[in-house]
Amino acid sequence: MFRHTPLRYAALIILFSGAVFTAFTAGYFGMEILTEILILAILVLALDLVAGFGGMVSLAHGALMGLGAYAFVALATKGGLDPLVAAAAAIAITAGTGWVIGAICARSHGIYFIMATLAFGQMGYSYFFERPFFGGDDGMVGPGRFDLSFIGVDLNDGRSFALFCLALLGLVYLIAVATLRSGLGRSLTGVMHNEKRMRALGLTVWRVKADVFGISGAMAGLAGVLAAQHILFISPNLLHWTVSGEALVVVILGGLGTLVGPLIGAVAFVVLKHELSHVTTYWHLIVGLVLIAVVMSRANGIFGFIEARFGPRTDRLIQSIQTRDDAKEAVKDA
Amino acid sequence: MLETRNLDKSFGAVHVTRNVSLKLERGERRVILGPNGAGKTTLFNQLVGEITPDKGQILLAGEDVTNLPVARRARRGLSRSYQKNTLFDGLTVEENLELAASVHAGVAMTLWRDALQSPKVRAIVEEVAEQVNLMPHIHAKVSEISYGVRRQLEVGVALATKPLVLLMDEPTSGVGPEMAKGFHDLLAGLPRDLTLLIIEHDMDLAFAVADTITVLNYGEVVFDGLPEEARGSKLLRDIYLGAWEDA
Repeated sequence: MFRHTPLRYAALIILFSGAVFTAFTAGYFGMEILTEILILAILVLALDLVAGFGGMVSLAHGALMGLGAYAFVALATKGGLDPLVAAAAAIAITAGTGWVIGAICARSHGIYFIMATLAFGQMGYSYFFERPFFGGDDGMVGPGRFDLSFIGVDLNDGRSFALFCLALLGLVYLIAVATLRSGLGRSLTGVMHNEKRMRALGLTVWRVKADVFGISGAMAGLAGVLAAQHILFISPNLLHWTVSGEALVVVILGGLGTLVGPLIGAVAFVVLKHELSHVTTYWHLIVGLVLIAVVMSRANGIFGFIEARFGPRTDRLIQSIQTRDDAKEAVKDA
Repeated sequence: MLETRNLDKSFGAVHVTRNVSLKLERGERRVILGPNGAGKTTLFNQLVGEITPDKGQILLAGEDVTNLPVARRARRGLSRSYQKNTLFDGLTVEENLELAASVHAGVAMTLWRDALQSPKVRAIVEEVAEQVNLMPHIHAKVSEISYGVRRQLEVGVALATKPLVLLMDEPTSGVGPEMAKGFHDLLAGLPRDLTLLIIEHDMDLAFAVADTITVLNYGEVVFDGLPEEARGSKLLRDIYLGAWEDA
C-alpha cells in the first residue's frame, strides 16, 4: 500500500524547492528545461500509477499524451472552443480513451499487455500521421497560451508558464496519492499482488484496471495539453511508441511504484539528455548505460536505492525523536 | 444453501467429476474426503467458477449460479480458502483482511475516500482477526509470519467477505498436530449459520467438525452420510487403504 515516509516527504520538499528556485533564477534555456521536466514528470506520474501500482506496463501513454495534445489543438483551432474549455475536453477524451484501452487490455498480462498497449499506441500514431485534417506528418500549430489575465497571470512569460506547470504537477501528484489511498487504489494494489485472490473475493478486476487506466489517461492528456502549450506546435512524433518507451525508462530510472522516484527520474533524464547532447550525439547510449547500471544494481531505481540506504536510518531517527518527546511529556505529567 | 445437480467435468479422456449431486443446508458443516486425485479440488473450482462444468447445475441460496463468473458468485456469498496459501504477500495481515472486507463493504471501487478507514471495514477486520486468532500478528507482514499463521490468515481472508457458504480446501494442509487442534477450535468458533464445505485429510479434524461427510473417489460420490456411519464404513477404509478397486 502507498505510504508517505519521512524520506518521501523530504524528497518532495527538495524537488519542489529546487523547481521554485530554478524558476526564479534560471535564464531562458534553464526555464525551458524546467518546463520540459515538469511536463515529463506529469506523464511519468501517470505511467507510475498504472505500472508501479497496478503492474500494467503501458506503451500507450505516449499516444495518450499525443491524443490529449491533438484533441486540445483541434478543438481550440478548428472547433473554435475557448482553449481552457478545449483543454478540459481533451483531458476528458484521453480519460475515456484510457478507460477503453484499460478495459480491453485488462484481461492480458505481462508481455501480452505491453504488446496490446503498444498496438493501441501505434494505431493512434498512424492515424494522426496519415490524417490530413490533423496536418499529417507536418503536425499542427497550437493556439496561444491560456489567457489567465483574470487572475493576473501572463502565461506568455516563461517563468509564469513553468510555475503554472509546477502547480498542475502538484495537483496531479495529489490526485495520484488520493487515488492510491481510495478504495479503488487499495484494490489496485491487491490486484497487483494477487489478481486471482481479488477476483475470488468478489472484485470485478477489469473495472479496477480500466478505472485507474482512465485516471492515468487523463493525467497523460494533461501532459499533452501542456506540451502543446509549451512549444505551440504538435506533430505525430508525440504519439510515437518511443515517447512511451522513454517515459518507462524514466519511471524505472527513478523508482517504479514510489511516485516520488519518477519525479527524480524525470529530472535526471532531462538534465542528462541536455548535458550529454552538448558533448555527444550518442547521448542515448550513455542514458542506456546508466539505466543498465540502475537495473543491475537491483535497487528500485535511484529513489529505491536512496530508500534502501537511508530509509531505515530516517525511520530510526524519527522513532528516537518520538520516544524522547514521549519521555519528556511523561516527565512533565509526573 | 448450496446445491449441485449432476455436475460433470472431463479434461480430455480424464473424467474428473462424475454426476456429482450434493445438497448443503444452511449452517451445515460438510467434510469431503477422498484420496489424492479424487476430484475434490476440481469440484471446488467448479463451485466457485474457476472451472466451468461440462454438465449440471450449481445453485446458491436457490439461485442458479452455474454460468456466473467467479467475482459475482463471491459477491453472492460464496467464498473459498485455498490449499496453497493465496495471500497478498507484500502486505500486512491487517491489509490482507482489509482488502477482503472492503469488497464486502462495497467500498472497493470508491474514489476520494480511504476505503480502509470505513467503519464497516474496520469492524469486519477486528471481528475476523479475533475469530481466527490473528490479533497478535495484525501488523506483521505476511512474509514475517509462520506458515501456520498464514493458514489462519488464508481462512481469515475468505471469512472477511462475510460469506453465506465457505469452501475450505485442506485448511490444515502442512501444519503440525498442535496447530491442527487449533484449527478445530477455530472452526468450532465460527458462526453456526455459516455453511461450511471442507476438504480435509486429517480424519480427526474431519470427524470432529463434520455434520455430514461426503466421500469422493475417481470424481464420483461413493458415500454421503453421517460421520458415525462413515467411521465404521468398510468402503471408506478400502478407499484410503487403496483396496477400493478390488472392493
